[in-house]
Parts: sequence; C-alpha cells; structure tokens
Amino acid sequence: MHGRVKVRTSEEEKARKEKERQEKLKHFKYAMAKIFTKRKNAEQDQEQLDLTGKVLTSNPDIYTLWNIRREVLTVLSKTSDSEENVSKLYDSELSLTEYCLKINPKSYCSWHQREWVLTTRSNPDWKKELALCDTYLKLDERNFHTWDYRRFVVSQCKPPLQEEFDFTTEKIYDNFSNYSAWHYRSKMLLELYPDLKGGRPIQDNHHKHELKMVQSAAFTDPDDTSAWFYQRWLLGAVKATVQVVAFIVTPRKTTIAWNKCVSFDYVNNNINVYFNNNITSGKWISCNGHEHDDLWILEHNEEIGNDIDIKIEHRQIDEEKEIINCKQYAPCVYVGKNKINFQNQYSEPVVQELTEQLKACRQLLVLEPDNKWTLLTTTVFLHCINAKLYHKEVVENLQILKDLDSFRAGYYNDLITKWNIEQQLPSDYQDDSLHYKNGFKEKLTSLPHLQYYSYCKTVDLSNQDLTSMTLPFLVKLQHCKELDLSGNKLTTLKGFPNLELEILNLQDNSNLSSEDIELFKQKHKTIKVIF
Amino acid sequence: MDENLPNHFNVIVVGTGVVESIVAAACSRIGKEVLHIDCSDHYGGLWASYNFDGLQKFIKEVKTEPNKHSQVYNMEEKWYINKDPPQEEPKEESEDGKAEPAKKVWSQADFTTEYRKFNIDMTSKLLFSRGPLVELLISSNIARYAEFRCVTRVLTWLNDKLMPVPCSRADVFATEAVSIVEKRMLMKMLTSIVGYNDEEMNNEFKDWNDKTFKEYLTHKGLTPNLIHYVLFAIAGGTERMPCMEGVRECKKFLMSLGRYGNTPFLWPMYGSGEIPQCFCRLCAVFGGWYCLNQPIDSVETKTDDDGKSVVVVGSKLKTLKCDHLVIGIDECPKDFISSEPVETCDISKAIFITNGTMMASEKEPLTLFRFPPLNDEQTCVTVLEVGPATGSCPKGLFVVYFVTNKVKDAQSDLMPYAEKIFDMSGGDQTETSDKPKCLWSLFYNVKDTSAAVTSGTDCVHVCAGPDAALDYDRAVHQAEEIYKKICPGQVFLPRAPNPEEIVFEDGATPGPEFQREDEDAEGDKE
Repeated sequence: MHGRVKVRTSEEEKARKEKERQEKLKHFKYAMAKIFTKRKNAEQDQEQLDLTGKVLTSNPDIYTLWNIRREVLTVLSKTSDSEENVSKLYDSELSLTEYCLKINPKSYCSWHQREWVLTTRSNPDWKKELALCDTYLKLDERNFHTWDYRRFVVSQCKPPLQEEFDFTTEKIYDNFSNYSAWHYRSKMLLELYPDLKGGRPIQDNHHKHELKMVQSAAFTDPDDTSAWFYQRWLLGAVKATVQVVAFIVTPRKTTIAWNKCVSFDYVNNNINVYFNNNITSGKWISCNGHEHDDLWILEHNEEIGNDIDIKIEHRQIDEEKEIINCKQYAPCVYVGKNKINFQNQYSEPVVQELTEQLKACRQLLVLEPDNKWTLLTTTVFLHCINAKLYHKEVVENLQILKDLDSFRAGYYNDLITKWNIEQQLPSDYQDDSLHYKNGFKEKLTSLPHLQYYSYCKTVDLSNQDLTSMTLPFLVKLQHCKELDLSGNKLTTLKGFPNLELEILNLQDNSNLSSEDIELFKQKHKTIKVIF
Repeated sequence: MDENLPNHFNVIVVGTGVVESIVAAACSRIGKEVLHIDCSDHYGGLWASYNFDGLQKFIKEVKTEPNKHSQVYNMEEKWYINKDPPQEEPKEESEDGKAEPAKKVWSQADFTTEYRKFNIDMTSKLLFSRGPLVELLISSNIARYAEFRCVTRVLTWLNDKLMPVPCSRADVFATEAVSIVEKRMLMKMLTSIVGYNDEEMNNEFKDWNDKTFKEYLTHKGLTPNLIHYVLFAIAGGTERMPCMEGVRECKKFLMSLGRYGNTPFLWPMYGSGEIPQCFCRLCAVFGGWYCLNQPIDSVETKTDDDGKSVVVVGSKLKTLKCDHLVIGIDECPKDFISSEPVETCDISKAIFITNGTMMASEKEPLTLFRFPPLNDEQTCVTVLEVGPATGSCPKGLFVVYFVTNKVKDAQSDLMPYAEKIFDMSGGDQTETSDKPKCLWSLFYNVKDTSAAVTSGTDCVHVCAGPDAALDYDRAVHQAEEIYKKICPGQVFLPRAPNPEEIVFEDGATPGPEFQREDEDAEGDKE
C-alpha cells in the first residue's frame, strides 16, 4: 500500500541528529581556523566578513568574531571608493546583527555591535532603530537588553519624551511585572514633570497619579515585586536637601557631620569655619577614607581654648546660607547642632493621596489581617505620613511582620532600629548631654545615623543585639572616650575601627574569645578594655 | 463509490462531526483501516461552517427536506436590509478630500456577491487554552492543521449595559471599574480557587455542597459587582448555580488564562467547521478513505463463521463490512439508539450579522459575552461575536452567535437579548447609534443529543451531536471513550510525526513538501 507513513525510530533519529551535529562541528572548526589564519595574515577583506558572518549566524555570541569584524569594517570603510559602498557595508552589518538577535535576543555582542555601527557610521537612521526596539519589545516586553538599547537610541535621536513615557504606560498595561518599564518610567517622570516651583522631584498631580497606578498594580498581584519597588521609589521621591547636622571642635579633633554623604569638593567649597569671626583654613579628610562620606575631619592650626566664638557657614545648593553656632559643652569642647527632622516632606495633595491609600489598606487589613504586603504597606504609609504620630503603631506592625515574614525578620529589626533612632535624635539634639543611650526597649540591631552622635563622649550600646558586622560603623564615634558594648552578640573584633577610646567594655559577649581580646589589647594599647 | 474500495474495513465512520472525526483519526493513526463517509457534500454535519451560499442551501434544505436534518427545527431567517444596493450615486468627496467615507449601506445583493467571505458556524464553540481539545491538538500534533485567534475580551451585562470583565491580571490592574480593595479581593479569590490542592479544596468547601456559588461568594465578602463578574461572566452561571459547580467552572476558566492571550479562549480561524476537518486530514494522512455524498441505506450486525461480530453497512453502490461502526446520531437507524428516555433540554440558537461590534474597541475585538438570564426560567445566554479578522465575514461586518437552553422556541428565547444589544429596526444603516444594526438574523432550535447514547451492540458506536456548552470538552471525552472501546489498551492519538521525521521507502518518491492545506479545505466545502 502506497502512501503509508513510516516514522523514523528514535534510534534512527538520534543517529541522524548526531551525524548532523558532527557535520556542523566540522564546518565550524574549519571556518574558525581559516578566520584566525586570515587575521594573522592581516587579510582584512570581504571574504573575512563572509566567513565570520556565516559562523555568527549560528553562534551569535562569539565576541572575538565581532571584534574581528570591527577591525575589518574599519579598514574597508577607509579604503572604500564611495560613500555609498561604505553605507552598504554598514547596512549589511546591521542586517547581520538583526539576524543574530532573532536567534538570541539577549546576545550582548550583537546589541553592542549594532551600537558600534550606529555610532561609527556617518548617517545613522535612529528612527529605524527606535522602531526596531518597538518590535523587539513587542516580542518580549521584559528584555532588558532591548530597554537598555532603547535608552541609548533615545539619548541619540531625542524623540519627544512624552512619547517615551506613554510607551512605558502601554507596556506596563500589557504586563506590569516589568522592572525595566517601571525604571524607565521613573527616569521619564523626573525629566518630564519636575516640580520646579516647589523644589520637589515630581509635580503633585503626577506624583499622585503614579502612586495610584502602582497601588493598583501592587494589590492586583502583591507577589510581584516590581510594583513594590516602584512604589518605594515614589515614596522616596521627596525634597531632599543636604544639611550639616553637627559640628564638634575639641583640642584634639574638629569634625562635621552631614545628614547624607557628600564629596570632598562639596565640603571644601561650601563650608566656612569661623573662629572668633575669622575664617579658618584647613584640610578636610573623610572619616572613612572614601571620596564620599557623612563625617569629615578638619585639620587646622587653631589653638582651642575656652570661650571661643565658633560658627560654621554652609552655602547650600540654592545659595541659601545655613549658619550653625557652636556652644561650649565642656572645657575646650564646642558643639554646634542643627535642627533636624526625619519626616518626609510631601506636598499637601500627595499627603492626601497617601492618606486615602492608607484608608484602603486599613480596610484590606480588616479582611486579611495576615497579609504581609498589606501590613507592610500600611506601615510604610504610616511612617511616610507622620512618623512621630504613628510611631507606636509602626513598631507594633513591624513586630507582627517579623512573625508573618520571618525570612525578613532581620530587615524588620533594622527598620525598627532606624526609625527608633530617628524618633530619639530630635530630642537628643535639644539637650546638652554628651552621652548617648538607646531610649527604646527594642534592642538595636544595626547602627544607622551614627554620625549624628559623633559629638558624644560616652556611648552606651550595652545590652543590644549588635553583631560584629556592625563594628566598622563605630568609626563615626570620633569624639567618644567611653564605649560600652557589653551584652551584645559580638563574635570577633575584626573590623573594629581606630578610635581614641579610653575605656571599652566588652563584657557578656559570650562568643568573643579571650584570644581575640588579647590580640585587640596588643593592637590598641591605650584603651582600657573591660572583659 | 470507488471501484477499488475494499469491501472490508476495521472501522467505518459515518458522519463527519467532531466526535466521529476524532475517532476516525485516532483509529487511523494507530494503523486501523478506516473508511469515513458522510451523506452530505461537506464535512462537519451539524458542526459545519458554511459560506453564505452554502448556508442558504442548508436553510432551504431544512425547510424542504425536514427529514434530512431532523435535529434542526423552528428555523426562521430574516433580512433587515434591502434586496438591492441604494440607487443613488455615492456622494462625491468633499473638497478637501478628507471627509470620512460614508458608512457602507449593505444590501442582500452584497451578501450574495461576497458570499465566499463568510464562514458561518452551525455550532460555534470556543476552546479553553488548557482545555482537553487544545491539549489533544498539541499532543497529537494535529494543531499544525489549524490556526486560532485569541478571544480578546469577556463582556457582561451590568446595570443595563455592556461592561468588560476584568479577568486576567492585566485587566484587573487596568480597570477603573473596581476599587483597590475590590481588586485585592477579586485577585485573592481567583488565585485561591486556582491554587487549592485537593485537601485544601475539601477543607474550604466541606460545608458548601448544598449551597449556591452566590452564597459562597457573598460569604467571602465580595461586593455585588465582583459577585456579578465571577458568577455570571467567569463561571457562566446563574443565581442558582451550585457552589461546587461554580468553583469548577471558575477553575477551568482561570487555569486557561495566560497561556495564549489576555483571555482563556481560542477561536478557530475560518470557523468551528475547521475542527472536525483537522482530524479528518490526519485520518487521511494515515491512510483513511474518504467518501462524501454517500448516504447509507442499512446497518445490520451479523456474526460471521468464526463467531465474530460484523457490521454490514448497505449503501447504493456497495455493501461494506466492518468490525466497528462509528455513527453520528443523526444518521443512525433508530433501532440502534437506546429508547430509554433521557432528560434533555434542546438548544435555542441564533445567528446575527451586524454592521459593527456590540461595544467599540481600539482593535477588532473577538468577544465572549455571557448574558445573565433576564428571567428565572432561563439559563445564561452565551454570545460570541467574531469579525473579519477571523475569516468569518467581509470587512465591516460582524457575525454574532447566541446559544442558550431552549425554554419556548429560539426566537422567543433569544429575541429579548438581541434587542438589548442590537438595533433590530432595520432603519438607516448610515445613522450613527450606540448599538450596531442587525442586517440579517437566523433563529433555530437544535435537539440536544449530547447525552451519552448507547447502541445496544458492542460494535456499533453512536456519536452525540453538539451540546449547548461553550467548549468541546464533552465531544473530546466521548470520542476518547468510543476509541477505548474499539482499541482497548491503545494510546489515544499519539503524536503524529513531522514531515522531516518520515522516511520514504526505497523507490518511493517523496511528494511535494508538506504544507498547510487551507486551499484544499476551501475546496472541500464547495
């Protein structure tokens, strides 16, 4: 009977595939050998392009071959007789990359080659490139290579940003699990709608709209983290000014603490220090030895006695001047403290929107009290709307979250630590004590904002939950003489910074070995270590 | 019938409906000798798709030869447009040439001219993206013969108007019709139904066996809007739908989401009539014989000399013998159909051709609309609207199918629903209104033959006709059951090889490269 189908058995099929594979390998080896010989002989010609092209169409990720092609193209474009031929050469290179990207849309080398061609040739067609990005993002809306390439193309051809912004909207509505789209959107948002009058990063109405949109995504699929990240970014998009928080002058050392890290140039250009109304010159050195730091040391030649009038002047970016006068706290110890405030400063309409969203979250919490994301968002909203007013509730929620989401208990502990310290700092900055002690019952698990306490002479960190990982942060305690670290969870003293301590209490750190202590004592002979 | 046609087959299949065609393909695939015949000149029987001319012939046949189509009755065709195109010259373009072209005025003559552009289904159904038919098409490699489009939206009737139902994640995110809290509730409800394993399922629903799905949804704190979406649009139910049935329907819907498009459904290009033909094609590729236009006269069962049962099928030209006869219920002699009364409910159907979609959208929509019952007697009306992109009709038109369980007759059952979404007045087509104009309608009832029918003998297998359900699940299931009786212990439609996996025996010249055969399919129908 004719026409009956006989199907290859899997054995036959396997043998056939293997034969095909061997054949392919032979071709590949032959071509590679020939390419390298030609390169050795500096034969930079069309044949070399054909050879490498052929191999690349089946293996687009051999970057060496792309490198060779660039060499050849550079030579050929110089020796070519007409502009037209050069153009053709580059056009066919673009077709090759396009072909390769069809095989592997995430081929780093192919995307890079394309970028090279367009920046090298004299007549790049950016519109076409943008259209190519559209096509590729239609096929895979989450291919970050394409998004990256799109940003490059946009930086070159500068299409209306509004169109780019609308493009992200479209992609997000297709599928909001898309970090690239949210990220690109955040960039567009800052460019398109900055609130110049209010000095805020984003105009009210847009800030509100974005918050609404991301809330909708987050509650549609709380397990998708992309929306939460964008929401956090939006909540953090507040007016942020660089501020001096504390200035300390003692005979041994003069330091300036900032609310955030600043560069050497910034400190050098924007700070004037006056001793009895005379400008003091000196050299600024960062406390951690890096280019950016939030605590800087001034090396100067002033004699520090008593009753000196010391002040510093900070020229801010908007050219306003911030002046901080120092007060004598102890013999030859002068401290100047600024007014500090950790509350996020949103505009009134944004606060309203947040308050409304908080209401929705609270409604949801009644329905599903054990939902981690709802509780966390509620907590973050509370903190953002009025950290002081809601502090107790915030900490309670974080305690519950430690149980609900035990994998991230450490993160919640650190948040409690940070937000407790932010509550305590403003009142500590009101009085004249040179002593710091955690005023909350929750134990510290990390040491954020420690530069704010750089003025303290005695620091009591006893009976907290600090591990050895936090030791490097102690470098901020530049004026500390007595440090109590007893009753913590230290396991080693590695990473302990150089401080001018007189007394260090290390008692009740059960995992700290006496060898460790001995080594430490030898290294820091001037410190009296209690153990 | 061909002179060379053998006298004996393993299996003779009579009728080319979905069930018959699947069985034919499955038997042929494992090497059974199969003869597949149909009394009419086209494939599909009641599952067929017709172009406009073919449909007219079918309507005429139903009227003039009621015995030939005994399953169909109460057929009412109506035109709402003139016979001939308007006489006046088309308006001249305004001076700037930019004026929008006037809306086309359709006439009956236009339908006749463009008859080939129609593919109108007698049985319109959707495939669940993860339903048994899709899985079967993939696992058997028959999907290569078919092409599908995704249903783009699911609509419902809420507060006396059409509303899109947010059913996928992207929809829920984008909709402004529900609040944040509702979004969370809806997604939680939907994801939990999908996610329950057996044990959780038993725990969650142990007290719900005798309660309605609506009671369950209310208990879960869903707002009235959400209950409407889930109960009517997603589960396709009614107020009385039992809880467990609702959960099952929801699960089926949700499991199929996210595979191919924004909704869980696929629609076969060129109409549902393509589905049986795909299976016939595979049957033919594996050596099945095909004879259309071949009515049978008699069916007898005999015992041959070896004591084996043989079915003898009499036809005009030849008497054929086979080990198994698979026969569609509409061609089956009455004495093989069990006379036991089965509780069935006939089906009311309607087809409308309109000059626009029922609800405007940016791109051409392909719509599933489950119309909640307007009165207590009825069940929901399933509405499918397909446009030119599906190959169902010429540009500018839409074909809309209505299906529900029969209460009185098709026209009285369905007209009240049609009037809600169409302008049935037959007035000026150029007039802009919020409802599309109905240009043509066809109402008919179909007997429900989907309840499993037994033949009384082991070697005659009766196949059910189309049911009122949205999907093909019942047909696929029945085909598999019949196949298991004919070929016990054999795999049901194992994967068919691709052309490159086929070896040609020495001397045999390979034919032209294997291609999709859309052209052939068109030819077959005419």
